[in-house]
Amino acid sequence: MSHTQMMKGIIDGCLLAIIDGKECYGYEMAERLGEYGFDAVSEGTIYPLLMRMQREGLVTSVRRASTAGPQRKYYSLTKEGKQALVEFSLRWQQLEKSVNAVLKKEME
Amino acid sequence: MSLTQKSKKFLEDLHIYLLSSGKNLNEIKEITKELEDHLLEAEANGKSVDQVVGDSPSAYMESISGEMKSDLASWTKYFPLVLLGPIAFTIFGDLINGGELAYSLFHIIGIIVYTLLFIIGVAIVLKYTSKKQSSVTKEIFILSLPIIVSMLFYLSVLFLDTMIDTPIVHFGEIGSIVIGSVVFLLIIAFSIWSKTIIIPVVLLALFLPDILLKETALSESSKLIIGMFITYSLIGLYLFYIFVKERKKQQGSE
Repeated sequence: MSHTQMMKGIIDGCLLAIIDGKECYGYEMAERLGEYGFDAVSEGTIYPLLMRMQREGLVTSVRRASTAGPQRKYYSLTKEGKQALVEFSLRWQQLEKSVNAVLKKEME
Repeated sequence: MSLTQKSKKFLEDLHIYLLSSGKNLNEIKEITKELEDHLLEAEANGKSVDQVVGDSPSAYMESISGEMKSDLASWTKYFPLVLLGPIAFTIFGDLINGGELAYSLFHIIGIIVYTLLFIIGVAIVLKYTSKKQSSVTKEIFILSLPIIVSMLFYLSVLFLDTMIDTPIVHFGEIGSIVIGSVVFLLIIAFSIWSKTIIIPVVLLALFLPDILLKETALSESSKLIIGMFITYSLIGLYLFYIFVKERKKQQGSE
């Protein structure tokens, strides 16, 4: 698996979590990802991911006027999306534990 | 607040790229609008296009395109129309004017070959275009090839039929009614499936004047003129209706 492919899978999961926290639009998500330290990823990366997640029925979107003015496309999680988030979270915790254990043991 | 030249250029390129890849127009509008909003906000906060689309705009466009489905399916539904149209036209015309159907063996074989030619041709080109990623103009050209070829074939059958002498097959009253009903049901089924009533409208436009004016005492030339007037008015009305409907749809999606 290439670096970018691995990143995409991880960003997928993080996007689900961000959308789950609060219904939001693309730019907001990119900003949040940046704040969390994903600044090596170009912001536009999220859109193909959102398109796929929408096609797979994990997220839905509505166009709505924002407080600032222009219409924006707001995303929220579907039931399937929430389920996918739970699964991602479990997988990630498992992965994190394993990687940490390997690093800790082998690099001593 | 407006976009920098570089952002505008990127959005235009993306629009053209997706269009020429045969993507759905509404989906194209949606994603370019979304990216435009994003770029506006990013630039207002002092970010550059590169931070949004990455080092390679073309790779980014490809990744967007990869998540969108091709739009050809939405108009392949018109294929049966091309197949059914001429046959329905011939049969209904003869039913209205003559009553019982009678065709030369040559004509009947011609219709069968035309149908096969059309179906096989369409199947081949659909398979070919679905595998290849070519521009929309090229794809439309390839897809219209079997239509043009089979239409020309049918026209030449009609033309040659007047010159070649083959036995005439008479279908009789019951046979004519059965054939007429089958074609009629096929048209209804197609209209429901494709959600267009274009075949019934065109057939009505072509034959309604005949039926209406047959019993009148008008001279042949005034029948012809009034008939043409009715035909063009009906088709014109239908096109106007489609035009208004499409416009409403577009406004609704914006």
